[in-house]
Amino acid sequence: MSAGQTQAKPANQHLRRNPPIAGEAEAIEKAQSGDAKSFEMLYALHKRRVYSLCLRMLGNVAEAEDLTQEAFLQLYRKIGTFRGDSAFSTWLHRLAVNVVLMHLRKKGLPQVSLEETLEPSQDDGPRKDIGARDLMLSGSIDRVTLERAVENLPPGYRLVFVLHDVEGYEHNEIADMLDCSIGNSKSQLHKARMKLRDLLRSGQRKESTV
Amino acid sequence: MTDAPSLGKNMNCVEFQEKLPELFESQADLTTEEHLQTCENCAALVRDLEYIASQAKLLLPIHDPSPSVWENIQTAIKQEPGANGSPVLAPLGSS
Repeated sequence: MSAGQTQAKPANQHLRRNPPIAGEAEAIEKAQSGDAKSFEMLYALHKRRVYSLCLRMLGNVAEAEDLTQEAFLQLYRKIGTFRGDSAFSTWLHRLAVNVVLMHLRKKGLPQVSLEETLEPSQDDGPRKDIGARDLMLSGSIDRVTLERAVENLPPGYRLVFVLHDVEGYEHNEIADMLDCSIGNSKSQLHKARMKLRDLLRSGQRKESTV
Repeated sequence: MTDAPSLGKNMNCVEFQEKLPELFESQADLTTEEHLQTCENCAALVRDLEYIASQAKLLLPIHDPSPSVWENIQTAIKQEPGANGSPVLAPLGSS
């Protein structure tokens, strides 16, 4: 299969990634009918993941909280359109991703057009790693170091890396969320990991020269 | 699982690294790749990329937004009429 082709989604894949949450289906149904307590329950169930996504993409608590608020207001307006074709968390994440991307575009940051973000120029991509064998990462990276390196990824790389490697979404789910091809998602993930390696190794070099 | 892309015996580093995204996605056992048996540089690259992917799981969400976020959402919802002019959700405490 070529990288750009779509592939059949394995049956119940979203159930593996997003196991059913007790009471969630009922809460969705009731919230769709206008029940405020059920909407509050959905907020309680999903606020952490939505907020973390916003925080990783923006690196700023105040902005991340603003966008978390906006994402849940969008949820409030659109929950009636949720039909259960995908896991609710995937659907909500897609909504949150769109809120984040809209915000980044408004700020006029480079590489925040999704198309541009997911198709960065060759110059922006990681270099092939031919010949450098001075440092190895294994066993040397803690959470804080990795978090900082992720913050320094270009937004498009960061988004795909967070969705796939941190949150565990499959490429077809990411492609659906970001409205891009599966091949594009795979390519961005690889470039993100390569770029992270560059960032982590350069950090190690700096430390070793101090 | 799909089959790993087949690699020629004389693959060089550039060719191997171009195939690497497909190899990762195929979930093949990369330790058996012939190129890695003889190329210390590419073997280190593969180890690093696998390590980064595994360490990413350390970054699972651990922080909640502050309580003011929910308070602001509630306030905004109360001010937001539904399509027919009535609130989409009944205000908390009204049901």
